[in-house]
Amino acid sequence: MKLAYFPGCKISFYLKAYGDSFESVMKHLGIDLVRLEFNCCGYPARGEHFEISVFSAIKNLAVAHKNKLDIITPCKCCFGQFKHAVFWYYKHKNLKTKIDDLLDQENLSWDGSTQIHHLLSFLYHEIGLDTLEKRSVKKFSGKKIAVQYGCHALRPFSVTRFDHPYAPTIFEDLVRVTGMVPVEWPKSTECCGNPILEGHKALSLTILENKFKSASLAGAEYICTACTHCQMQYEMTDYESDIDTHGVKPVLFTRILDAAFGGKTVF
Amino acid sequence: MMFETLFYISLFLCAAGCIFQWVRFRRAGLMFKPASSDRFNPGRLYPNPVNLILSFLNTIFQIRLFAAGKIRWLFHFFVFAGFLYLVTVHAFHQVTAVVLFDYYDPTVDPFQFLRNLFGSLVVAGCILFFLRRGLRLRVNQIKSNWGSHLKYKGLVSIILVFLIVGTGFLLEASKIISEPVFMEMVEDYSDLEEGDELEELKLFWQEKAFVSFDPTVPADPEKLKNGQVLNEVYCISCHSDIRSSFVSCLLADLMSFYGTVLNQTRVDVMLYRVHYGLCLALIVFLPFSRLNHIFLIPLSIAVKNQAPKTHHQKTAQVFGASLFACTNCGYCSQVCSVYPHFQITGNPDVLPHSKIETLKKIADKHPDVSLWGLQKGNNACTQCNKCTQICPSGIDLQTLWAVTHRIFSDNALVNNQTFFNRILPEAWADLETEPRMLIARQELVSDLIEKTDAFENCIQCTICTNVCPVVEYDSKDNDYTPQQVMNLLRLDQKHLASGTRMVWTCLTCYACQDICPQKIPVTDIILELRHLGGVRADAVKLQQTVKKRVEIS
Repeated sequence: MKLAYFPGCKISFYLKAYGDSFESVMKHLGIDLVRLEFNCCGYPARGEHFEISVFSAIKNLAVAHKNKLDIITPCKCCFGQFKHAVFWYYKHKNLKTKIDDLLDQENLSWDGSTQIHHLLSFLYHEIGLDTLEKRSVKKFSGKKIAVQYGCHALRPFSVTRFDHPYAPTIFEDLVRVTGMVPVEWPKSTECCGNPILEGHKALSLTILENKFKSASLAGAEYICTACTHCQMQYEMTDYESDIDTHGVKPVLFTRILDAAFGGKTVF
Repeated sequence: MMFETLFYISLFLCAAGCIFQWVRFRRAGLMFKPASSDRFNPGRLYPNPVNLILSFLNTIFQIRLFAAGKIRWLFHFFVFAGFLYLVTVHAFHQVTAVVLFDYYDPTVDPFQFLRNLFGSLVVAGCILFFLRRGLRLRVNQIKSNWGSHLKYKGLVSIILVFLIVGTGFLLEASKIISEPVFMEMVEDYSDLEEGDELEELKLFWQEKAFVSFDPTVPADPEKLKNGQVLNEVYCISCHSDIRSSFVSCLLADLMSFYGTVLNQTRVDVMLYRVHYGLCLALIVFLPFSRLNHIFLIPLSIAVKNQAPKTHHQKTAQVFGASLFACTNCGYCSQVCSVYPHFQITGNPDVLPHSKIETLKKIADKHPDVSLWGLQKGNNACTQCNKCTQICPSGIDLQTLWAVTHRIFSDNALVNNQTFFNRILPEAWADLETEPRMLIARQELVSDLIEKTDAFENCIQCTICTNVCPVVEYDSKDNDYTPQQVMNLLRLDQKHLASGTRMVWTCLTCYACQDICPQKIPVTDIILELRHLGGVRADAVKLQQTVKKRVEIS
């Protein structure tokens, strides 16, 4: 199976570990990742400039369409942005016309056929829990873990169709494959604080600290993420030494999975 | 003697130019001084040996350029390799070739041949270079004119190089056909007097080596044979067969039609002066021309690898010098992640290669700069590192964009979040904006705040407020809650709503939107309010920068 790999902007500089482990997991599963000339997904321009945000996303989809490939991204903000853009692209006739014109100038076009996958939904729906169970040669039995869903994939549900917006289950099910025990955690669907890290750092870090605290109270050893921005936010503890992590460590889901599959990742 | 004096004067001017430029680089670097709170480390250069070697290899072989574009690398390498040989072995032969090879003489093979070979490489490279410019095949000229304002950048140095090598070939050709030069050499290297033997040698050189004699020596096979013997006796030991200088021979063949006139006017002496003068001009011009990238690129690469990775610890000179290492090749803009931003807004300062030019202008206090455009453009950067990876000059663009906001710190040009943190919503709602400044007006396509049916059904149940993380954790600083923002809209106070802290600290987590029992798109409305506020804020910022410029002038 071939998929266009959309890493998003942050992975190549800020979170290489995510990109590397993601690629390794996909290799184990026999997925051929193709790198195309993508641009930004448009998420950072949401709320800044509506047209740019929608056009950026649709242009990426058009590039994938030209190569007759579906898109997979490990980032939830990118995933959410794609869904968001598709929603508004069809809703606004004027916007659609303008975007189609711009695409036409670069010999691109988009007919809506490109599928958009996030890592989790792809593993859950396309690969299946049974296959993952079979492939996991190493089990981390009994390790308690809290999962962080990430807002932009979950909500608004009418646009993203990822999972239930307040009581999702797919991440927990996927984590169980590796033998880990997902804890009941009230903050699993709450924001990590990353979107306002630059604009309102103090608040952003307060939100982060409360997440650590709450995960620790739930008895978790790790917080598991499957989103570039969430992981970057949890890793802020490397730069801000006065954040109390309550002994909870953030970990990328792909790193757990890679280790479970017997990959290079030491976990 | 006069030539030597001129040479030292140009060296002195070149050194003065280097000092001037260094001061300029430092000034450019100091633009990125952070605001008072964190201390600025002016930094020192401690390039480590491994990086120095890599940097050196890159200078010789242009590895980074090769990775970015093969064809461009090829003719860049033609010019570079050719000119490097000519400078070291030919121009400075007294300190290089003469010392290294005891048989060296400019007229001896392989030197005579190599000089022509490398010279022709330079000429070929230059011609390809001009063609590429003329046919608009440069990366930054291909797409919709986005590099058009840089069309003539860096032309002076390549024209100079072309002229130097061109006059070099002409000079060599004019010496080949020159009777006076021939006579001087006969005087210096043989004991021949006027007579038959001299005539025979002349005949040989006329027939075999393009020398134009006045009057022409009459042909005679017997004499020619004797001439060849005399050539072997007197000339061949330090003058190889002239035909190995293949380019100059071609030119000499053409020039010999006017040989008599050219020899009488001593065109070779004239050409020597021109050739030498152009070389001196290049030396004087070196610190200011595009050619300074030969020195700035290794510097910027070495420093990029060396300096600490964290943004706030970077140094002043680093940026200063590396800004000027840019050769406007445009590869960065070709891979830029936010290129769609440029496609929609048409603001060239979204693109890296244009931002660098603007930054250089700001450093030089150029009056015609749109700070506002740069701020908007740089704000769009997503820090994806693609430009830094491809940059053939090895400039640390990633860090540069991260610290560019610092140059706006004493201006009104802050990003919108900071802007709205500094102003109360009530004051913001009353603020007058000049309509003509709303040039940044963008079509508000989703139109939720204009249509009352999006929010009129709000029943003020406060569920949105109850799930909002900002309200939960920021009770002290936050002003309006989400349901109050909705109510402001119902009271037709959209400008007041667009200035609230709630709108600008919203996490966009959509928790409110999906839980609203009335199906009000709360987050989408908040995002649209941001958009609306942003458009007006841009107008205000633009107003202030214009005012500032008026005050300065």
